[in-house]
Formats: sequence, structure tokens, C-alpha cells
Amino acid sequence: MRRREFIQGMFAVSAVAITPTTVLAKEDKAKKKGVNDMSFEDALKAITGGKEVKESKKIKFTAPEIAENGAVVPIKVEVDHPMEENNYVKAIHILNTANGNARCADVMLTPANGRGYFSTRIKLSKTQDVVAVVALSDGTFIKASSSVKVTIGGCG
Amino acid sequence: MDISRRDFLQIAGALGLLSATGANLFAGEAGKEKIKKLSFSNIVDFEAKGKVSLLHICDLHAHIKPLYWREPSTLISAKNLVGTPGFICGDSFQKFYNVKSGTLEQYFDTYNDFSELAKKFGKMGGISHIKPLIDYVRKERGEKNVLLLDSGDTWQGTAVALKSKGEAIVDAQNYLGVDVMVGHWEFTYGKERVMELIKKFKGEFISQNVLDNDPFSDNFEEVVFPPYTIKEVGGAKIGIIGQSFPFTSTANPKRFTEGWSFGLRHESLQEYVNELRGKKKVDCVVVLSHDGFSVDQELAKKVKGVDFILSGHTHDPSPEPIIINNTVILIAGSHGKYVGRLDIDIQKGKVKDYNFKLMPVASNLIPADKEGDKLIEKWYKPYNKELNEVLGITKNLLYKRDTFYSTFDALIGEAIKEEMGSDIVFTPGYRWGTTLLPNDKITKDNVYEMTAITYPEVYTFKLKGDKIYSLMEDIADNVFNSNPLYQQGGDMSRLTGASYSIKIDAKAGKRISDFKIGGKPIDLKRTYKVSSWGGNLQNAGTSLEKKKIRAVYDVVSDYIRKKKVIDIPLKSNVKILDFNCGCPQKGAKC
Repeated sequence: MRRREFIQGMFAVSAVAITPTTVLAKEDKAKKKGVNDMSFEDALKAITGGKEVKESKKIKFTAPEIAENGAVVPIKVEVDHPMEENNYVKAIHILNTANGNARCADVMLTPANGRGYFSTRIKLSKTQDVVAVVALSDGTFIKASSSVKVTIGGCG
Repeated sequence: MDISRRDFLQIAGALGLLSATGANLFAGEAGKEKIKKLSFSNIVDFEAKGKVSLLHICDLHAHIKPLYWREPSTLISAKNLVGTPGFICGDSFQKFYNVKSGTLEQYFDTYNDFSELAKKFGKMGGISHIKPLIDYVRKERGEKNVLLLDSGDTWQGTAVALKSKGEAIVDAQNYLGVDVMVGHWEFTYGKERVMELIKKFKGEFISQNVLDNDPFSDNFEEVVFPPYTIKEVGGAKIGIIGQSFPFTSTANPKRFTEGWSFGLRHESLQEYVNELRGKKKVDCVVVLSHDGFSVDQELAKKVKGVDFILSGHTHDPSPEPIIINNTVILIAGSHGKYVGRLDIDIQKGKVKDYNFKLMPVASNLIPADKEGDKLIEKWYKPYNKELNEVLGITKNLLYKRDTFYSTFDALIGEAIKEEMGSDIVFTPGYRWGTTLLPNDKITKDNVYEMTAITYPEVYTFKLKGDKIYSLMEDIADNVFNSNPLYQQGGDMSRLTGASYSIKIDAKAGKRISDFKIGGKPIDLKRTYKVSSWGGNLQNAGTSLEKKKIRAVYDVVSDYIRKKKVIDIPLKSNVKILDFNCGCPQKGAKC
């Protein structure tokens, strides 16, 4: 992606609310539940209110196969959906499935954004699936996911 | 004379080189006579096609001189992959490609009867022997109809490469006439040096999958190198897209490429393919790749419109092409053992036909080119005194390739364990190195051939038993992942001072059992003294002994000098629970 496009993409997002992931507990305390912990199931329910979420090819979700650095994993969500008055992408939610807190980012959009697009970097504690849940203006939800391997590295 | 590989085998048969019973016909003086009948023309014989020839080399690992290189005796992977090209060796390789015993092919492609055949056929590779093959094809086809493509891992692997910071090898590439290359270990000379060497390199360095990752840079998220090049060859337009090693920043220290981001990036690869086919109107699309043979087979399922992938990284000799969704995938072994020749017949903007052959660089059958010998002499001269030092001799074969255990690594591990006084030593599962025959002298140059890296420090530190265990599981999940995209194309880290059993087909985190350190079951709560090099394990440990840090080649050289005679057992310290052999066939059968 070109720099200009990237900056446009940034402006396209009017209100960005990024929920910080919990500071990862040291391994010996791993089992102790943090105050900010939230499971994937609970996080999904909080977003959808229990509504069905369908896998959709309308979402192009880009993430690396193997993270170069688990602390800053670049991800990109592009939704192929109109951004019109009564038919638009209302929100993009990024969820992890194995950190303490499953919620990475919630991005609210309006038709004025012009594009259903969001790109950021997230922190992943270990190898896991990352899920993009997209809310559409008609009240339905769609999703796409990608598996990211976090490793200490290995062989040449 | 135009003859194909099959014809060659028939001719070899007619010459009495092959034996129906598989017995070695090269034994004794009579055998030597028979080898003489194999000649240069057998190596270059080829049924030409069309007007375009692409010559392909990969993973030279800086071996400008000929060497012995033994292929793996164990090449195990996930059940769905074993027995398929990329995961065959020894007997399973011979069966898959119908390679007869006692032939030059058996010697080059497998570990079977290696020491015997090495004495008969001699050393492999070397630029002075590679050059005549390239010259031959250029003469046959015409200069303008031939390209020489290099899939990378070329600048690193020997003492002269390390000491000249890659320059000796760039000189060798210019001598061979490399037109286009991509990289992996090249990057371990650091960003600035890579850019300096690219200036000295007369060909083009391309990569679509290395991006600027510095948010303060004007080139943020843009490609660092040209993503592709278009060459007019034999009256056709060939588009060549570069794929450097996608996992450079996790497999090698990040500091060398800080600010650059790597990855497979198949989406952008598809965009470049479309651009070449559409706007640029090329007749043929080639991906020059260092992804690895199995990853490129996956890539061909994801990306449409690629005619040929010239692969590298995993060091596989592949006598026949792999075809996936109309994409033809080729790879040319390692260490300068082969030059791949791909002839392409392009008509009306499309690939109509092709032919392929791996030409074995059998140094005894190819008279050395004098210019090449001069170049080698020039670069070795300042270091000859140091590198020719005989440190000791080896009683057994010293080799590198095997999924779990290899004798040269066992020697390195032993040396480190003794000097550092550690409980357990980790040696990296690289796939490059050298091979020494029984009773060979071990020179300082040989030690460098196993260890010549820009981060040679041996670290000694403390690590808890449970951490050692989970690290081994993590490495196993890279090596044995059923999805090639999550592998990194190396072998298991080698352990000294420890032994374990492994069930390849078990779930991630459940593969390793019966883990012993110093002959006793591992105590997960105990803290062990660990030494390692060539990786980043030290980052996981505590109380790093800074004063003990030394270069691995110095530690190993001291040890051999002291021991004089090296006698490393051929028996592995790893027990494989779900396979009975090292080279299983398809269906995981032995």
C-alpha cells in the first residue's frame, strides 16, 4: 500500500476506540484472572447481543502467517459493502482468541467514511486465531478470521 | 545430440553403469574405468525447446570451491507431507524418481552409499565447474536467449564469504553472470551492507515481499527492492517477480533488518502477476523464490497466472517438475551441486512447451575453468594460512542433513558442552554446511563451513526445565506443522546432553516425551545450564554469562585441536515413535 492511501485510510475512520489489551500476566501468574479479562465468547456476545454471525467473503482480512513480532502484528480489514445513507458498514471489531482480553479494537463508522476499511497493529500473546466482526447498518453481523503463529523463531 | 534424462539413463545402462541388482559396480579399479566413460556431454545433453533458456541456481551458501554434500538420511514431516517431493530422501527418493543404485544420480540425490560413491565420483559443485555448464548453454542457445537466475542463500556459508562480508561471493556471481537474484541469509550482513553489495552486484536484486516498516520513513509500507523485472529473451518478454525468504525476521536476528518487514504476501504477488500480464503484456511470468519447495507448492494454490516458480531455501534436488494449477515448480538442490536448465517454448504470448533438467556439477567430469580458479585463489589467498590448518581427523562420516541428529552438529555440541560446562547444548537446525568422509582431515575451513555466520556467539545461560520443554515443542511445531505455510523450512534444533522421543503426528505441544537431560528424566522445576548459538534462545533465559561468550568456530576449533581424533557415533539421540525409518514413502509407509 502506498503512504497516501494509508493516510486516507486513517482519515476514513472517524471515531476510533481502541480497547487496550491487558498487560500480559507473567507466566507464573497466568492462571490468575486479570480485572480486564474477557473471553472471546463473552466479547462476541457483548458486540452482537447473541445474534448469529456469518462467515463472509465480503471481508478481506489480511494478517501475517507468522508474526514478525507478537507485540505489533499488523492487520487490515477491508469490507466490500456500500457506504450509503441507509446501507453501510456500521462497525469493525477486531477480536483475538487467546489473550487475556479478547477485544483489540472497536471502530465505529458512518457513510461519511466512504469505505469500510481499518488497519492497525495488535498484540498477540501466542499462536491463535484473530477475528474481524463487522456490523452492518441493517443490524446483521458478518465475520472473517485468520490464524497467526507467534513463535520464538527457529531455523535458517 | 539431443537426449532426455530418460535417454541418459538408458545410455548409462548401455555403458554398463547401472546394475539390475543394485549392486555397486564401481568397486575397485575396474569401476574407475567405467566412470571415465561418463563425460561432460552426458551432463549437458538435453532436448532443447523453444528459444528461451532459464538457468537456475539456489542455495550455493558461498561454496565457490567443490565440496562433498550428503543429502539427508532422515527427512520426516507431518503425515500428509511425507513421501511427497520436498519430504523424500534415500530409498523413498530413489523409488519416487526411479534412481538406480551405483549411479551418479544416486550419489548426488541421496545419502545411500555416500562414502563409497564419493570416492568414485569425487567432489561436487564449485564455480569453476559451474561456469563451463553455463557457458555451454549460452553457446548452444545464443547469449541473448539465456538468463541465469539465483534463488538466494548465496552470500553466506564459508570463511571467505564471512571475512569479505559477502564480497567474494558477489564477485563469483558476477563471474558466473547471475542476472537476477533474491535473498535470505544475504540479509544477515545487515541492511547497509546488503545495499553496498547490491551496488557491486552486476545483476538485479528483486523482492516483492520486503516492505519498509519504519513509520517515520517516507517509504513507509513501500517495497524496499524492485518487486519485479522484465527481460527480453529469445524474442519473448519474461516477467520475473522476486520472493525473498518470508520469515527472515523470525528465523534470523531482527537487528539485521530492523525497519524492514517480511512475509509471504501472496495478495500483492497476485497484483504484480496481474500487472505483468495486463499492463506490461509479458509472455511468461516467473517467480524467483526463496520461500521453500513446500511453501511454493502452497503458494501455487493461492496465486493464479504464474507459469514457473524457481524455488529455493529447502535444498531439495528435484529431478522432475511439480505442477500445481498450471504452475510448474522447480528447485535446484543446494551448495552448487546442480544447475537447473529450463527451456521454454513461447508462442503467441503463451507458454506452449518446456523441458527441464538438473545438470549435476560433478567436478571430475567437468574440466575447471581457469578464470574461476583464479578468482578462488584471489579470495582465499589472505586466509589460506588460517583456513588450511589441520585441526584433527575424523574417524566417521561428518555430515549435516537430517531432521534430528547429525554427526557434525554432535561434534559442535560436544565442543561447546565441554568448554562451557553446560547441561544441555542447542545447535541450530540449519540445512547448510559440509560433509567430511571417514578418515578425512578436519581443517579450520571445514569448521567455518558449518558455522560461518555474522552472529557466531555461543551464549550460556540458565533455563528452567519447563521452559526447555516448551521451547522444544514450539520448534517441533514449526518443523512438523501439517501446513507448510507455518513451517520455516529448517530441521529440528540439535541437542547435546539430552535425548527425547517424538510423535510427529501428535497435536502441537504434545509431541515430545521421555525427555532426558544427562541421562535423567527432565525436572520441569529445576534450572539447567544451557548453551546455544545461531538462534535467539538466550532471550528466553536468565543469568547470561557474558564473560563466557565466544565465537562458535573458535570453540569448535580449540576442541578438535585438543582431541586430535574425532569419533562421533552415527546413532541419533532422538527416537521417532510413529515412523520406523528416516525416509518414509507416501502414506507414511517405511
